[in-house]
Amino acid sequence: MQAKQAMVKEPSTNPDAKRGAPVVATSVVGISKRFGKTSVLENINFDVAEGEALVLLGASGSGKTTILRIIAGLEQPYTGKVMLHGKDVTELPARERGVGVIFQSYALFPKMTVEKNIGYGLRIRRRKRREIRETVNELLALVQLEEHRKKYPSQLSGGQQQRVAIARTLAYNPEVLLFDEPFGALDAQTRGHLRREIRALLRKVNVPAIFITHDQEEALELGDRIAVINLGHIEQIGTPFEVYTKPANEYVATFLGAANILAGVVKDRSVEVGSALVPLPEGYEKYHEGQKVKLVFRPEDVSLSKGEVTPGHACIAKGIVESTNFVGAYERVGVRIDLSDSGSCDTNETPFYLTTQTPESQTSKPIIATRPKPEATATRLTIGDRVAVGLSSFTVLADVAPRKRESESPRG
Amino acid sequence: MRHVRGFDVARPLSIGVLVIMMMPLVFLPLASIFIFGTSKGLTSFWAALMAPEAVFALKLSMVTSFWATLFNVFFGLFAAYVLSRYNFWGRNALIVTISLPTAIPTAVAGFALLLLWGPYGILGRFLAPHGIQTMFTAGAIILANIFVTFPLAFGVIKPVFDTMSRSLEEASATIGATRVQTFWHVTLPSLRGAIVSGALLTFARAVGEFGSTILVSGNLAGRTQTAPLYIFAKFNEGQIEAANAIAIVLALFSFLIFSVLFFARDWLDVD
Repeated sequence: MQAKQAMVKEPSTNPDAKRGAPVVATSVVGISKRFGKTSVLENINFDVAEGEALVLLGASGSGKTTILRIIAGLEQPYTGKVMLHGKDVTELPARERGVGVIFQSYALFPKMTVEKNIGYGLRIRRRKRREIRETVNELLALVQLEEHRKKYPSQLSGGQQQRVAIARTLAYNPEVLLFDEPFGALDAQTRGHLRREIRALLRKVNVPAIFITHDQEEALELGDRIAVINLGHIEQIGTPFEVYTKPANEYVATFLGAANILAGVVKDRSVEVGSALVPLPEGYEKYHEGQKVKLVFRPEDVSLSKGEVTPGHACIAKGIVESTNFVGAYERVGVRIDLSDSGSCDTNETPFYLTTQTPESQTSKPIIATRPKPEATATRLTIGDRVAVGLSSFTVLADVAPRKRESESPRG
Repeated sequence: MRHVRGFDVARPLSIGVLVIMMMPLVFLPLASIFIFGTSKGLTSFWAALMAPEAVFALKLSMVTSFWATLFNVFFGLFAAYVLSRYNFWGRNALIVTISLPTAIPTAVAGFALLLLWGPYGILGRFLAPHGIQTMFTAGAIILANIFVTFPLAFGVIKPVFDTMSRSLEEASATIGATRVQTFWHVTLPSLRGAIVSGALLTFARAVGEFGSTILVSGNLAGRTQTAPLYIFAKFNEGQIEAANAIAIVLALFSFLIFSVLFFARDWLDVD
């Protein structure tokens, strides 16, 4: 029984798995795509392991949907190939690939009941009636829609429709599940709930999945790994933790969560930001003396103190509180830091910019810090307070120009 | 204190004006068919209706309209599929051409068919020596009906195609269906309502066709005389009752079809 295999996959019998190497379920090799003269995808490569969930995260127009459609066979790549469980399917039409696509609108067949929708893949494969009935029953139980089996899609909620769409693909034991912006049409509360539900379901059936989203929170929660796509390129691919804490470039840093970015120069194994010197940690030997770099840090990595900077934190500057904003779990503090003073974190001195009336000068920068609620309650900060600004962790990135859309020049 | 609402004079007044205006224009002409047709009692009405030539005319109208409708529904479905799924040079010109026959006077349509298929027509003159005659037969009536009702089914089906989400067909393809399976199981069910109303519209229009039919059929009683032609012929002969009986049938028939169209639109499209 195909569907049974799909639902509870036995430990893979592939010899690779025994040796501990993950089985590659889907790979995309050197895919590029152009529409006319505009290049929308440029040399896209990634693998998805058996049972793994990969999230393609990018803004609209980044090309992430095109990648999905190429894997599904709804779009042809310009170069490169698509492999499903080791088989090159690039030349196969969509119907022969056996991938499951969960469309953004779910694309349930409006004139079929829930059970007809789920059984569709088996009916067109001309399976025996009894087999179809059994599989549909199992899948209805799996997605907990037994009492809705006779309903039409228009009578279901968004979340229920989505579960029907998933069950409809699981019926024919798909090679991989492709989710196109699966939660785009739902309200914020249902979204969070459904994310966890789908995550649990995928664990149960052990089918590899590729999600498409522009929502970074969704990406962090859904993905075993995240690929950040920007203008047709993969900027970075890694676990949510890697991508968040070690962004490969400024785009990734700002697209995935909030980030403060300060321009600096490498000097004496430190980064000179304004006149503050932040020592370069291990692993940044690649930057040479005098190289322009960006110091990137998350709001939650900033420590603010009225006296001495928190022990163990690199002091970057002193600053003045410009705004405080309580947003539930934490407090968001806007601080304007003074980069003109020579690395002193003594808060008793008057910052330079306060005496000059030129707050937008190069030496004063606004940054955002967040503080957990207990800390915010223990040490209150009010607008105008002078604080020492420390960093518990940060990333140093080479200062490179942002990516531009590649297209052939009109005359080639 | 109960709140007293103002009485809006405009409401009964405007409804009254509307009904009074429709009296001489629509209601009274229809009513007179029934008043005249039944003035000499139901038995004479029944006798007029059952005259062999009258029965033949009604049958011929139904049969020719049926084949014209069958053809135009299939054609309209096919044309709508091609013209909403593919974008090509000359697409809009084709859409306009398909819709053109409704704008052409029906007498012109019949005349055009004669010039093409008639014994001395552009094509007809090559067929005539082989004993093939299309004009002045039931086939000619079907051809004329097809021509004048050409865009009706297409016009109803095409908008449904246009608004149908492409992702349904894409979903069907990724699930493993062939194009034919997708069309049969996914596309067609969504078109059910449009196909039925397109067919009814075409049939009703074909049954009533007069202008083109009188030119191409030859108007031979008992051979190529359709119901509207029968009414016209009997009226010219002064047999008002005979004409009247058929007129009542045709009026009731079109009333029935439009009621079905009006009230059935909703249940045909329920999910």
